Amino acid sequence: MMRLTRPLRYGGLAALILACIGLLTVAAVNIVRIERQMQISATENMTWIFGQTQIEALNLAAALSNNAEPAEVQLRFDLLVSRLNLLRDGPQWRFLSEAGLAEGLMGWRDGLLALDPAEGGDRAALAAHVAALSTALRGKASRVMSREWQIQSERLDSLGRLHLLALATVLGALISGTVLAALLIDRERRLIRSKMDQLRAKQLERDLDQERRTSEGYRRFSDLIAHQVRTPLAVIDSAMHRLTRPGNPPSPEIIRAKAEVSREAVARLVRLTDTALLMARVDRGAVEPDLACHDLDRIAAAAIEDLHESARALKTGRVILGSGNRPVTAICDPVLTGEILANLLRNAFLYSPPGSDIDVRPMQDGELAVCDISDRGPGMTPEELAVAFEDFARGARHRDLPGSGLGLPLARHLARLQDGDVTLAPRAGGGLVARLILPGAVTA
Amino acid sequence: MTLTHRLCSCLLALAIIALAAPRAIAESPLLTLTGAVDGGLVEISRADLDALEWHEIATSTTVTDGRPLFRGVLMRDILALAGARGETVTARALNDYVIDIPVSDFHEFDVIAALYMDGTALTPRDKGPIWIVYPRDDHRVLADIRYDTRWVWQLVALHVQ
Repeated sequence: MMRLTRPLRYGGLAALILACIGLLTVAAVNIVRIERQMQISATENMTWIFGQTQIEALNLAAALSNNAEPAEVQLRFDLLVSRLNLLRDGPQWRFLSEAGLAEGLMGWRDGLLALDPAEGGDRAALAAHVAALSTALRGKASRVMSREWQIQSERLDSLGRLHLLALATVLGALISGTVLAALLIDRERRLIRSKMDQLRAKQLERDLDQERRTSEGYRRFSDLIAHQVRTPLAVIDSAMHRLTRPGNPPSPEIIRAKAEVSREAVARLVRLTDTALLMARVDRGAVEPDLACHDLDRIAAAAIEDLHESARALKTGRVILGSGNRPVTAICDPVLTGEILANLLRNAFLYSPPGSDIDVRPMQDGELAVCDISDRGPGMTPEELAVAFEDFARGARHRDLPGSGLGLPLARHLARLQDGDVTLAPRAGGGLVARLILPGAVTA
Repeated sequence: MTLTHRLCSCLLALAIIALAAPRAIAESPLLTLTGAVDGGLVEISRADLDALEWHEIATSTTVTDGRPLFRGVLMRDILALAGARGETVTARALNDYVIDIPVSDFHEFDVIAALYMDGTALTPRDKGPIWIVYPRDDHRVLADIRYDTRWVWQLVALHVQ
């Protein structure tokens, strides 16, 4: 169906365009022909030319009858001959021949020349000849006039016909142009409608995608709750159960140990809640960074100290703050930056083997302030790196380690809020380098 | 007297007559200019015209077939010769045909006062002695009745104003 209608539609359009051009060409040709025909030329003034001949015949007759001077008679004679010669010339002669008025005229001229006064022609005979010529001319004059008007009328008729034809073709072009315009407008409308449909389909697809991501997020969130909330709760529950078991009351050492385990479990829950809440605030754009110049070494040192205090249980390795010999100044919000570093450090601790070192190295890199946190853990596979910054994305290998799966996405969000970024790269010799990049203050 | 002598003297006599005859014609005025010209009246003879530069125009006309070759002098040269100062020239023919021609025509176009058509001298029995000829084929604008009426034939007088 489509295959058949398309050539038909294009064929119709092409035919309309050709019709328009053709009709306009015909109209233009007609208008040019009208313009050509509208010129008047002196040849068409035959009535006047013929009248002049008559007048010169009468003038010569008058000169002869008035016994005028020979010079005057000669002048009038010459003028009459010149008028007859004029009638004999191309266009005039054709006019007279077509009107059937040429016959005999040249006989009159020859008769006149035979009586030329300059060659001693007889005046009386000349007078008689001129009188007869005048009569003959009078008889033809009205027919010359009528013939001339007939020609003019025919020309006007022809002009009128050309004019009507031009008008009709212009009207035809107007009609086909209107149809063409209507067709083109219709096509344009259909095109726009199909474009709108396409846009709407794309929008729907986007919405669907968003919906899918959201539901995936919920699924991950419920997974997270299942693991990360239930584990500390189970730890607390188990501790409480031990302390309240009937039989021998627990020794003070056991009570202290169980209390410590419970407090750590509570601390994990609190941290989880804090991270989730901060992420929620970042998501709805409620976090306003307070940007100023700060020493990145000091922020890193503070973050390390906090971590040591809160995470005694980790008891793993040591953090080495490798400051350079020049201070590293970053344009940042110290609280948000501290949060980022704490997240990155916690990750490094989480994934490092016990007893291994973690390097924290703030440095200036051109106009950027950079802080690398390198661990000697298992590192990440390229697949894990690709999704590391997605919400709730936790490596399949580490599902049972404590953590929200929000740490890295939150760190990156907070860095970007300060015109910076967080990137991950494998460490030479094994492990992972998490890099915080912030705009640096150019130091003199 | 030998035959050769007689022949020689005969030829000499003919030569004298041949030279004298055009001289007589050359002296009589061909064209009379009046109005704003030197001294109010200037008579132009054939000798005066011969002293000017001659030009040729091949052009179609409204009253003949083909494209005759006209020979004559430029109208503006004639007006300059007579010291004409004016905007309009009223041309008059032998039969008292009178028409006004703007002097600007003669400056815009190479209008000539033709004395010859296709090598034949124009006479009063044709359109002579002088026919004002416009270069009709060289300028589209000249193919118009308003210019056709200015082709005065049998021209004898010009009144400048």
